[in-house]
Amino acid sequence: MTTTTTDRFAHTYTLLRKALPDEPAWVSELRNEAFENFRALGLPTVKHEEWRWTNLKPISETEFVPAEPADVSESQLADYLIEGADDVRLVFVNGRFTESLSKLPAGPDGLVVAPISRVLDSEEGLQVKLARFAEPTQPFTALNTALFTDGAYIRAGNALTFDTPVHVLYVSTNTSSPALSSPRTLVLAGENTELRVIESFVGLDAGQRLTNAVSEIVAKGNANVRHVRLLRESAETSHVSWNEINVERDANVTSHSINLSAGLARNDVHAVLAAEGAHCDLNGLVLGRNNEHFDNHIVVDHVRPHGSSNQLYRAVVDDKSRSVFAGKIIVRQGANATDAQQQNNNLLLSDTAKVDTKPQLEIYTDDVKCSHGATSGQLDPEAVFFLRCRGLDETAARNLLTYAFANDVIEHIKIDPVRVALEKLMTERFAGLLGN
Amino acid sequence: MTTPLLEIKDLHVSVEGNEILHGVDLTVNAGEVHAIMGTNGSGKSTLTKVIAGHPDYEVTKGDVLYNGKSILEDEPEERACAGIFLAFQYPVEVPGVSNMYFLRSALNAQRKSRGEEELSGAEFLELVKEKAKLVDIDQGLLNRSVNEGFSGGEKKRNEIFQLAMLAPTLAILDETDSGLDIDALKTVANGVNSMRDPARGFLLVTHYQRLLNYIEPDQVHVLLEGRVAKSGGKELALQLEDKGYAWIEEEAATA
Repeated sequence: MTTTTTDRFAHTYTLLRKALPDEPAWVSELRNEAFENFRALGLPTVKHEEWRWTNLKPISETEFVPAEPADVSESQLADYLIEGADDVRLVFVNGRFTESLSKLPAGPDGLVVAPISRVLDSEEGLQVKLARFAEPTQPFTALNTALFTDGAYIRAGNALTFDTPVHVLYVSTNTSSPALSSPRTLVLAGENTELRVIESFVGLDAGQRLTNAVSEIVAKGNANVRHVRLLRESAETSHVSWNEINVERDANVTSHSINLSAGLARNDVHAVLAAEGAHCDLNGLVLGRNNEHFDNHIVVDHVRPHGSSNQLYRAVVDDKSRSVFAGKIIVRQGANATDAQQQNNNLLLSDTAKVDTKPQLEIYTDDVKCSHGATSGQLDPEAVFFLRCRGLDETAARNLLTYAFANDVIEHIKIDPVRVALEKLMTERFAGLLGN
Repeated sequence: MTTPLLEIKDLHVSVEGNEILHGVDLTVNAGEVHAIMGTNGSGKSTLTKVIAGHPDYEVTKGDVLYNGKSILEDEPEERACAGIFLAFQYPVEVPGVSNMYFLRSALNAQRKSRGEEELSGAEFLELVKEKAKLVDIDQGLLNRSVNEGFSGGEKKRNEIFQLAMLAPTLAILDETDSGLDIDALKTVANGVNSMRDPARGFLLVTHYQRLLNYIEPDQVHVLLEGRVAKSGGKELALQLEDKGYAWIEEEAATA
């Protein structure tokens, strides 16, 4: 009898349950239920329309063990911290909260920033909220719910402005066998609140791993949430994420997905504009090189009238790297006066890089303003010539144009220290650029 | 005898296998302003691009000497750093790169290649202020992406602004006057006139005699089917305005 993928993950699940500390019964039930869900669903293959460009073999043919605890020093984190956004941080190493590396805020009243593991008993309402927003019918989401060890819980009560960015770092390191981490983030922004959240997924060293992340962001009426996720996994790591964004009346969520490195990455963003006047910006950047594979699937679901959404996704692919973008805008019946825009632009720096893009509109009402556009191409040779005619050498000219292309996404980031840090990082990456 | 600033000798140029220039001869000395006129397709733009080093243009015969040395093997940036400047007929938009950042990168790249110190931020800003006044360019445009969303006139002004900032030894203007209203045209002309210098040469490619009312050329050349068909003083431009190009074509045919 051959071992199937679900058998392998059943083994992983058994190992994890043994290693887990005691937890409330409702959590165990949630896990069991989720794993049964996963078992029934199985992993998707390239025969599934939504997965046709991303082959999951590195995941489906590997037996993963739950990532073991590991030690990380403050200095190892240095490269991944963000100057000006380091007052509050939650650090998880191989899926476990590491207090010595974390900085929890001292207030204000009404704000909770804590590892989920510590609030499972105490935090009122968590039982009904954890794993309730992201679609349980997604196999990876179900798998995360079954296997999560810990994650960030950020909750702001009503009318609270907390503009200090909360940086959540999910660090993987020092794993011997193929190791699985299942980080989970839950952000609940109450009415009229303001929150800034940064999630970093970091591979400190080489190693075959799977990070299966789920993040849920809920913005209640008139709340404003700014979110950035930074993907900095190692080249052997597969990263799968489901990002659920729930935007209520007149609330505003801005989320940037910045994909800097990973072996294979698949990010799903599912944003529901659930009430009138909801707004979200979903932007993304892929910087691919070597054999990296990035797949970003976005669904924006306009349910009620007067909502608006913007998507700007850009990819720069070099070497043999590949970027997939699929963006769907749904405008439900009755979601009148919806304004939904989508742009996907791809820059291919080599003949062997590859891009697939699939914009989709599903509109069930007349009174809408929707547009989408996709471009794929190489650097404009006339622009390169122009810059060379002014004295920049060819490499500097190409780098400057590439930087500018990518920076168009970065400059939309509304958490200033993150934008500054990324501009610096890109300047270094596109070496040969002159300083400011 | 002093070495000419620019010397073009029997220049033949092809693009994708089609020969466009069939033996151009032209000499520009330092301190001189030369105008090149001609009908559409006569090879005017090709000539400017070849001097600047555009990779799509292949020189099949002849030579281009700058300060007495052939530049045909030099990269575009090497020519730029040596002091050759081309103002583009259709200035390129560079989204995401601010005018200021671009200019400072360009200026410092050129200074570095000449072994000069890079300009500090303050020195650069001082220079920008001075030159912006000269070409009457809106300060707001300087912080925007290079040429993005600029009007036609703003783009051309921006080219002249770059010319003023980079202060080249040989300035080539490819139809910088085309499509300009009279105010913008005067600004462009003022920019050029204020930069006239015994050490600097200008090559103005233009379609219209009008520009030459404001910039007085030392010589006017008529390019016809890839050759210089006639050269003369500034009065030649007036004759062309009067009589068109047909008489030169006839002259060339009977010659």
